[in-house]
Amino acid sequence: MNIQEIFQAVPWVIIAPILLIESILLIVALIDLARNDSPNGPKWLWVLIIILMNIIGPILYFIIGRRQD
Amino acid sequence: MQWITIFQKELLENARNFKWIWVPLVFILLSVMDPLTTYYMPVLLDNFGNLPEGAQINIPTPPPPEVFWMSFSQLNVLGILVVLLMSMGLISAERKSGVSEMVLVKPVSYTSYVTAKFVSTLLLTLISAFIGLLASWYYVNLLFGEIPFSYYIGSVSFYSVWLMFIVSISIILNTAFRTPGLVGFLSIAALLLASAINSVFKTRIEWLPPQINAYIKGYLSTGSITDDLWITAFLTIGVTVILLVASVFILRKKELAA
Amino acid sequence: MAFVSVDQLSKTFDKTAVIKDLSFQLEKGKCVSLLGQNGAGKTTTLRMLSGLMKPTKGTISIDGASPSSDIRSFIGYLPQHPVFHNWMTGKEFLVYVGRLAHLSKKEATTRAESLLKQVGIEDAKNRRIGKYSGGMKQRLGIAQAMIHKPKLIMLDEPVSSLDPVGRREVLTLLEELKQETTVLFSTHILSDAEEVSDELLLLHDGHIVESGTMDDLQSQHDSTRIDLSFSKEAHAFEVPISQIDSVENVQREGNQLHIYAKNIENARTEILKLASEQDWPMTKFEVSRTSLEDLFMKVVNQ
Repeated sequence: MNIQEIFQAVPWVIIAPILLIESILLIVALIDLARNDSPNGPKWLWVLIIILMNIIGPILYFIIGRRQD
Repeated sequence: MQWITIFQKELLENARNFKWIWVPLVFILLSVMDPLTTYYMPVLLDNFGNLPEGAQINIPTPPPPEVFWMSFSQLNVLGILVVLLMSMGLISAERKSGVSEMVLVKPVSYTSYVTAKFVSTLLLTLISAFIGLLASWYYVNLLFGEIPFSYYIGSVSFYSVWLMFIVSISIILNTAFRTPGLVGFLSIAALLLASAINSVFKTRIEWLPPQINAYIKGYLSTGSITDDLWITAFLTIGVTVILLVASVFILRKKELAA
Repeated sequence: MAFVSVDQLSKTFDKTAVIKDLSFQLEKGKCVSLLGQNGAGKTTTLRMLSGLMKPTKGTISIDGASPSSDIRSFIGYLPQHPVFHNWMTGKEFLVYVGRLAHLSKKEATTRAESLLKQVGIEDAKNRRIGKYSGGMKQRLGIAQAMIHKPKLIMLDEPVSSLDPVGRREVLTLLEELKQETTVLFSTHILSDAEEVSDELLLLHDGHIVESGTMDDLQSQHDSTRIDLSFSKEAHAFEVPISQIDSVENVQREGNQLHIYAKNIENARTEILKLASEQDWPMTKFEVSRTSLEDLFMKVVNQ
C-alpha cells in the first residue's frame, strides 16, 4: 500500500477535530511554560515533554509542571 | 458579596492558568476516544493490520447506548484522575504557601471560602463533562445510530451528581491536609475505597454513591429513570453536603498557622 | 478601658509552653514594639491576636468588642513572610482583599490606588506579584494590612528581611502609619524598636519581662551600670565584685567589666574599696546610664 492509499484511508473529517484539539493543548502548554517563572523542573525538559509526548505531555505539564500558587 | 468575590477570583485564576481551556479539551479527547476507536478499529485493522488476503474481520457493532457509555467509563477513570489532580492543591497549596493566612485574616467566612472553591471547581468539571460527552454523543449518533438528545441531557445530569461527590472528596481532604500530593493520593485512594465498599455491599445497600453509575448505564439503555437512580442521586447529594459541612468544620478547627 | 487588652494568654504546642501567662495592654494610637529574640514567642503572640491561632487559655479583647465578635474586621496583619497569589497583579490583590474585608468594589479600588501610592509601588501596580522584589512584597503586604482601615495593625518582623535601603523605607512608612492607627510590630532588632515605637514590650521565653515607654524604661534602669577597665584580663576581678551585695549582674568583655547594681552608691563605694585594698590595675571607672541595648542584654541573660 502506498502513501496515497494510506492518506485516503484516514477518515479526515473525524480525525481533524482531534488533531486540532491536540495542537491547541500543545500551544497553550508552551505559552504557559514561557510565562512560567518557576516551573517544577527544568524548562527545556518540559518543552521536550510537551512536544514529544502526544496529548499526555501538555496534560502532564499542566498538572505537575506548574507550581500551584 | 464575599462569596462572589472568592468565586470570581477562582474563575479568574482558572482562566489565567488555562484550566478553562485544557480541562474541557482533555474531557473531549477522553470522551470521543472510545467511540472513534470502536468504530474505526475494523477499518484500521483492515488497512494497516497486514492481515492475510481475504481474511474477514467480524467484530459485531455494539448498540449506540453501550458505545456512549464507554465515554462515561473513560471519564470515570482518566477524567476523574484529572479532576482530582487539578484540585489537589485547591486549599492545601494555599495553606502550605501561606496565602490562606493572608486571606483568612480578613473577615472571611470559612463557609464562603470552602463553598466558593467547591462551586468553581465543580463548574469547571461539569462544563468539561457536558462538552466532552456532547462530542461523544455527536460521534455516536454519526457512527453508530441514534440516541435521543434527552438521553444525553438525562444521563449527563445524573452523572453531574457523581462528579459533585468526587469534587467534595477532594475538598474535604484539602482542608484536612496541607500537602497537595498527599491530598491527590488520598482522594484517589478514597474513591477506590468507595468503589470497593460499593461492590461488596451493593446487594444489601443499593444506593451508595458509586452505584449511581450502574443506574445511569441502565437509564441509557432503557430511557426510564428508575426509583433507584433517584434515591441514589439524592443520597449522593446528601453525602456531598455532609462532606462540605465537615470540610468547613475541619478548616475552622485547624490552626491556619502552625 | 484599654484599647487592646490581653489577659493571661497562654499557648502550648505539644506540651511545650510557648507563651506563658502573657498579659499586656495597648493604648489607642500608640506604636508599640514587641521586642524579643528569635523564638521568644513574638509570632505566636501576634498570630493569636490576629485570630489565626487560638490561645490555649486566656482572653484577648480589642476595643471592648465582645469576644464572640469577629475581631478580624478591626485588625490588619502582615505575616513575617508574606505570600501572595503570584498570578495576580498588586492592584488586583489589594482590591481582592479589600472586597473580602467588606469594601464595595469602588471603595476597594480607590483605597487600593491610594495605598499603592502611599507605600510607593504605584509603578508596579499592574505587574504580576510573582515579579516583585522582596521589598516590594513587604510594602504590598503593609498595604493589604491597611486596606480596610483597621483600628489595629500588626506587623510581624516587617523590616528584618530587608536590605538597609528597604529597611529605611519601611521604617519611614511605619512612622506614617503611626499617625493613622494603632501599630504593634515585632522585631528582634532593638534599634528598630527604639526608632519608631512609643512603647516597648520586651518578650523573653514566652512572657513579658519588661514593658513601658522608652522614658520609663530608661529611668527605671537608670545609671545602674558601672564600667570598669583594667590593664589586664578582667577575669580575676569578676568574682569578688559579684559577691558585693548590691551588685546584680556582672558581664565581662576582655579587659572590661560591666556591673549592674541595685544601689549604685553602695556598689561604687564597695568596688573602690576593693580596688584600693587589693591594688587592682584599673584604668577606667565610669558610672553610666544604661542604654536599652544593655537592658535588653540584661533581661535576656537573666
